[in-house]
Amino acid sequence: MKRKINSIILNVVLILVGIITVYPFVWMVCSSFKQNSEIMALEQHLLPQVFTIDNYINMNERFNFLRFFANSLFVTIAITILVAYTSTICGFVLSKYKFKGRNLLFGFVLATMMIPWCVTIIPKYTMIQEFGWMDSYKALIIPAMFSGFGIFNMKQHIATLPDEILEAARIDGANEYYIFHRIVLPMAKNGIFSIAIFQFLWSWEDYLWPYLVINTKEKQLLAVGLKMFNGQYSTDYGALFAATAISIIPVLVIYLIFQKQFIAGIAASAVKG
Amino acid sequence: MKKKIVAMLLVVSLAVSGLVGCGSSTTTGTAGKTNVEVPTEPFGDTIKYDPVVEINDGKDITIELWEWGSDDLFQQVIDGYTAIHPNVTIKLVNNPWEDYWTKLPLSLNGQNGPAIFNVHNSYHENLINYMAPLEIPLEDLQADFTGVDAHVIDGEVYYIDYGMMTGTVYYNKEMWAAAGLTEEDIPKTWDEMREVAKKLTIKDGDRLIQAGLNFNDDFHQNYLLGLNYQLGTNLFLEDGRTPNVNSEAMKQVMQMLVDMYEVDGIGSKDFGEKGADSFGQGQSAMVIQWGHYYNTLQTTWSNIDFGVFEIPTFDENPYAYNRYNGESTFGVNKNAPADQQAVAQDFIKYFLANDEIQIEFNLAMSTFPAKKSLADNEKILENPSLAVLAEHIDRYIWPGSMPSTMETSLKKAGQDIFYNGVDIDTALNEAQENIIRDMENSTFTSVENLYAHAE
Amino acid sequence: MFKKSHPLQSKSEIILRNIVVIAMVIFFTVFLIIPIGIAFVGSFHEWNPLSGTYNFLGLKNYINVFSSELFWTSMLNTLIFSVVVIIFRVCLGLAIAYAIYSSIVKYKSFFRAVYYMPVVTPMVAVAFVWKFMYNPQLGTINQLLGLDINWLMNPKTALLAVMIMTIWKDFGYAVVMYMAGLYSLPTDALEAAKVDGASAWQTFRYITLPLLKPMTLFVIITSIISYIQAYVQILIMTEGGPGTTTYLASYIIYDEAFVKYNFGYASALSFVLFVITAVFTWLSFRVSGTKE
Repeated sequence: MKRKINSIILNVVLILVGIITVYPFVWMVCSSFKQNSEIMALEQHLLPQVFTIDNYINMNERFNFLRFFANSLFVTIAITILVAYTSTICGFVLSKYKFKGRNLLFGFVLATMMIPWCVTIIPKYTMIQEFGWMDSYKALIIPAMFSGFGIFNMKQHIATLPDEILEAARIDGANEYYIFHRIVLPMAKNGIFSIAIFQFLWSWEDYLWPYLVINTKEKQLLAVGLKMFNGQYSTDYGALFAATAISIIPVLVIYLIFQKQFIAGIAASAVKG
Repeated sequence: MKKKIVAMLLVVSLAVSGLVGCGSSTTTGTAGKTNVEVPTEPFGDTIKYDPVVEINDGKDITIELWEWGSDDLFQQVIDGYTAIHPNVTIKLVNNPWEDYWTKLPLSLNGQNGPAIFNVHNSYHENLINYMAPLEIPLEDLQADFTGVDAHVIDGEVYYIDYGMMTGTVYYNKEMWAAAGLTEEDIPKTWDEMREVAKKLTIKDGDRLIQAGLNFNDDFHQNYLLGLNYQLGTNLFLEDGRTPNVNSEAMKQVMQMLVDMYEVDGIGSKDFGEKGADSFGQGQSAMVIQWGHYYNTLQTTWSNIDFGVFEIPTFDENPYAYNRYNGESTFGVNKNAPADQQAVAQDFIKYFLANDEIQIEFNLAMSTFPAKKSLADNEKILENPSLAVLAEHIDRYIWPGSMPSTMETSLKKAGQDIFYNGVDIDTALNEAQENIIRDMENSTFTSVENLYAHAE
Repeated sequence: MFKKSHPLQSKSEIILRNIVVIAMVIFFTVFLIIPIGIAFVGSFHEWNPLSGTYNFLGLKNYINVFSSELFWTSMLNTLIFSVVVIIFRVCLGLAIAYAIYSSIVKYKSFFRAVYYMPVVTPMVAVAFVWKFMYNPQLGTINQLLGLDINWLMNPKTALLAVMIMTIWKDFGYAVVMYMAGLYSLPTDALEAAKVDGASAWQTFRYITLPLLKPMTLFVIITSIISYIQAYVQILIMTEGGPGTTTYLASYIIYDEAFVKYNFGYASALSFVLFVITAVFTWLSFRVSGTKE
C-alpha cells in the first residue's frame, strides 16, 4: 500500500516536472502557427486564434530554409563520423599502447577541453583566410576533426576493454589495423554512440564559427539561419519559432533512436573514469 | 532493433529529401523578373545619368551587392539597372542586420569582399578603411542633396545619405477621442504634452491600465540623444571628441523622464517591456518613435488607428528640434577589381539620379528625402510621419556617425536610474566616463558644428 | 602491470601509433597551439583588425581588465551564476534520475526523453521563448503565478530569471548522465545493503552516492567549462541589463571582440578566464580527492 502511494506521488512529481519542461515547446510550436501580431498581442492564448501556416511557407521562401537544413545535416554528419572515428583510434592508441610522452599527450588533450572558444576563434579565423578555405566546408570540417572531449571519453572507455582479447588476436597473427577495426571498434560501440550524439548536438547547434567562415547563402547552415529572423528594427518571431520547431527534429530523432546506446556509452566511459 | 533503426533512418532521410525537394521548387519561382521600362534619355537634376553610355565596354561582368533586410527594394534597383545594362549581373547577398556588421568588415578585409555594399553610418569606422571615394563631383552632390558636407573627409565623399530619419510622436486616435481630446489639443510644448498624457492615462487604483506615454526600452535613443538640442546643448564639446552627456541639458531631459513616470504617473518602467510594442498592443496612448515605426505599425500592428504629430519642444523657438540620422547610400569596395569598381560607381550614380527610386527608398524606410527636389513631393507628404517633419526639416541636427557606446552607455545610465535606483548625476557621470574610455581609440569627430543654424 | 601490456611491439603497432600520434600533434598544433600563441601575443597589443591597428601595449590590456569595475561585477555574476546553476543541475538531475531509476516508475525512457528535449534545442530559440514568458504584461509566468514582476528588468530578479531558464534547459543533461551512472552500478553492493537491512535512504547515502562520485565530478567539470563560457542567454534576454546587473564574463568578451573589435583586450580577458577555468577545474578535482 505504502509502495503504491509512493509510486503515485513520484509519478505525479515526474509528470509535473515533465509538464514544466515541455510547456515552452508547446508554446513555441503553437506560436509558430500564429501571426506576429497575435504572438505579441496582449490577450494571450496558447492555441492560435487565427491559424496560419504562413510562417512555415515564408520561412522557406525568404530564407530557403530547407536548403540550410540539408547543409547542416551534411556537415554535421560528416563531422560526427570523423570525430567518432578519430576519437576511437586516438583513444585506442592512448589507452592500449605504451610509449614515451603518452601521459603528456593525454594531459594535453585534457587541457584542450578547458580552452574557451574566445581565445582561439580570432586567430583561427585569420588562419582559415590564409589557407584559402573561406566559404568552403573544409573550414567547418577540418578544424573540427579531432575532439579533446571525444578522445578523453574514448580513452576511458577503451581502457575498460580486456587486454586479453587483443592479445589473443595478436597471437593469432592479426595486425593492429585488423584489431582496431574488427575488434576494438565493435566492442566500443556504445562509447562511440555517446560521443557521436554529443558531437552531433554540438555541431548542429554551433553558430559563431559557421557564421564567420561561410558567406554564400546557398552553403549556409541552419543555426546561422535562425538568426536571420532578427531584423534591424524587429524580430520575425513567428518564422523563428517555426524554424526552431523544424530544426530540433533531427536531433530529437537521433537521440530517440540511439538513447539506449547513448546511455550505456556514457556509463562505460564516465563512471569508470 | 537494427531493422527498426534502418527503417527510421529511411523515413527520416525520405522526409528530408522530400522537404528539400519542395524547397528548391518553390524558390525557383521567385526568379521571374518584372518588366522594367528602359529609359533612353539622360535623367536627374545636377547629377545626370545617361543610360546610353555603355558600362564595362558592354562586356559581361558580375558583381556582388551586400545589404541587410529589404531584398525586394534592392532587387528593384538592380532590375532597373540591369535592364539598361544587360551585360551586368548583380548578385544580391542578404545578411541579417546584426550579423551584417560582423561579417561585412571581415569579408572586406579578405580577398573576395563585395564590390558594393549598403552602409549604415553607425558602423562608419569599421567600413571607412575599405571604401573608395565616390567619383561624382562634390559640387554636384552638394547641389542635389542636403547634409553632404558632414560626409566630406579630406575633400572626398565616400557615401552620403539619401534620407533622414528622426523621431515623431505617434498617438492612438481612439484613445485620444475617448479622453475627450481633439485636434486642437495636439501639444506643442512638453508641459502641454504631459497634461495631455495625464488625460490619456487610465488607472485602476494604483494599477496602470493604460499609459499616457511609454518610453520603455527606447528612452536613450528617442529622448536622451536629441532633446538636448532643444535646450541648445550639443552631444559633444567644441573639440568634437569629448562627449557631453552629463551636461545640464541632459540632466534636465533625464529629470523630465523620471518625473513623467514618478510624479505625473503617466506610465511606468514596468508597464510594457517596450514602448513601441505597448503602443501596438493598445496599452499606451502615445510613443515617440523614429520613422521606421511607421512601417511597423502598418505591418505588425495594422489594427491600431494612429495619428502623428511633431515632437514637442521646451520653448517656442528651439535651437533645433531633435537629432536625425541618415540612411546612407552604398559604399564601393576599394579593394575590388577596377572593372567591378567602375560598375559600382556607375550603379550609385544611377541610384542617386533616379527620383523614383529615391522616393521608393525613402518611403520604405520612412525617411525624409535628402534629395532637395523631393522635399515637397506629393508621395512623400502622403506619409504622415514625414509630412509633420517638412516644415522644420532644416532644424534637425546630425552629430555624425557616433560610436555605439553613446547609445549603450546612456541606455545603461537610464536603466541604472529607473531600475537600480542610482541618482541622475552619478549615472550620467558614469556614462560620460564610459564613453570617454570607449572612444579612446576612435577617430570620430562630431559634425554638430556643420548644422546650418549653428550658433 | 607488466603482464598486462604486451612486451613485443609489432611493426603495424609502431606504424599505427606513429600515424595517430603525429596526426594528433599536427592537428592540435595547427588549430590550438598556434592560435593560442597568436592570441597570447595579441593580448599584449592594441589590436583592431578592421582599422589594422596592432601596437604593442605591454601589460596595459591586463591592467585594464583588472581595474575595470565591469570585469569584477561580471566575475561575481559569473560565479553566482555558475555555482547556483551547477548545484541545481546536479541536485535536480540526481533526484530525478534516481526517481526514474527506482523500480516504481513506469515509462522510464519516456521521461528520459522528455527531460532531454531542452538540452537539444538551440539556446537562441529557447532564450527568445523564455523572454516572452518573462514579459511582465503578457508573459505566462506572471499570469500563471498571479505575480506582477518585471523579471528581466528588476535588478533583484534579472540574473535569477536567466539562471532559472538555464537550469530548465540543462538539468536534463544531468538526468541522463546520472541515469547512465545508476544503471552501471554494481548490483551486488546494493543487494548486500538490502540484506543487511539498510533503509532506502541509508543505501542511497552510503552506497549509491559514493559510487556515483566520478559521474558527479564529470557533470560538475563539464558544467564549469560550459557555464564560464555562457553568453547567448545574456545576449538575447538582458544584454547585461538593467544597468550592468547581469553581465557575465563571456558576454564582455563577445562584446569586446565582435561588437567593438578590441581583439587585444578581448584576448587578454580570454586568458584571464582560461586561467580561472583551469583553477576551478583543478579545485573540483582536489575537493573530490580524485587524482589524474
